Amino acid sequence: MTVRFYSFLLYLAGVLFVAGLVHIVAILVMPQVAPHDAYARLAALAKPGETTLLPRALPGHEVTPYEDPAFAQAVCLYDLSDGPLHVHADLADNRLVTISFRTQTGQVFYSMTDRASLHGTIDVRIMTQPQLDAIEAAEGDEDNDQPLKELRLVAPDVKGFVLVDAMSTYPSERAGAEAEVKSVTCAPETLAQD
Amino acid sequence: MTLIKFLLTALAGVALGFMITTRVLDRRLSFDTAQAGPWRGQPKSGTMDIDPYANARIARTAELPLGSAEGLSFIARNDSAGAPLRPECDYIVSGGVPPTRYWTLTLISPKGFLIDNKAKRFGFTSAEVVRATDGTFTIVVARTARSGNWLPVGDAKAYALMLRLYDTLLDFGTTKVGADALPKITRGGCA
Repeated sequence: MTVRFYSFLLYLAGVLFVAGLVHIVAILVMPQVAPHDAYARLAALAKPGETTLLPRALPGHEVTPYEDPAFAQAVCLYDLSDGPLHVHADLADNRLVTISFRTQTGQVFYSMTDRASLHGTIDVRIMTQPQLDAIEAAEGDEDNDQPLKELRLVAPDVKGFVLVDAMSTYPSERAGAEAEVKSVTCAPETLAQD
Repeated sequence: MTLIKFLLTALAGVALGFMITTRVLDRRLSFDTAQAGPWRGQPKSGTMDIDPYANARIARTAELPLGSAEGLSFIARNDSAGAPLRPECDYIVSGGVPPTRYWTLTLISPKGFLIDNKAKRFGFTSAEVVRATDGTFTIVVARTARSGNWLPVGDAKAYALMLRLYDTLLDFGTTKVGADALPKITRGGCA
């Protein structure tokens, strides 16, 4: 009786051990294997290298869960393998505009609001570390005293997306907010090869 | 015989492991949790420091958490007394909000989708909300129309409230936030 009991305990320990292992592995590989993640859903709507206005958040028509219905949203998918991506925004109104830079698996590696703009313009270049090194080498020592007019971001991965959000504080501002996120440009650049 | 027992053990382990994983992700559990009254947030989910559980969840649900410079978001599934929000009851969301440029309060399904209603109102922005003279506000969450700030429940069988603070000075990493910092959710009458 006791032998059977102990062997039952042993099998139970085995089940729990395997369950724990499966749980940890499932959590860690989920971002790589989840088939319907945000990037996959956005890629079905948007072409890479240009800003695409996402459909307005309405019941039954959301692209992703937890969307804020007070916001107009646009996305720009990027692939840095051919060169950096230049994001440029001219912000006209005093509207809340936020920009988030995300990896293909959805993590935010940088985010900002319109408050970070310089006289109403935002210029961001997303690049890989080798591209940044190449740009800095090409610039050499010239104009080192000049402050940079653009923000240079090193992306953790080659692929990812930029999300542009503009708030319509009142429903009447929806059209303006949509126009504002659409006016943000994102342009892939090719680095001059020497 | 032993081999079969081993295989069954492994299979049971795999099944249990997947079950636990689904449960944990559905309940939005993670190590990174900030709480103020009924509101729960995961302040690190908008950074590269994202908790592994939150990271697995955003991949599974495709949600896009706010970046840390964009704002903070909180979800309430209970009222301030700790009881789950019931669609047949009225709730009063009142109080103040920490210094923030804008905030929005949205009514969502448990999985984070908007709930249709005849009034076509899915939430309030801080600009829209009608306030008392001292700047505080009262929003009534109810199934049937109310005067003032009415947030309709629609035909939902269950719902949650989402509070988003945009461009906020509140920092959960360095400040201890009391239950009073975010609005109270008080239950009124039930149908």
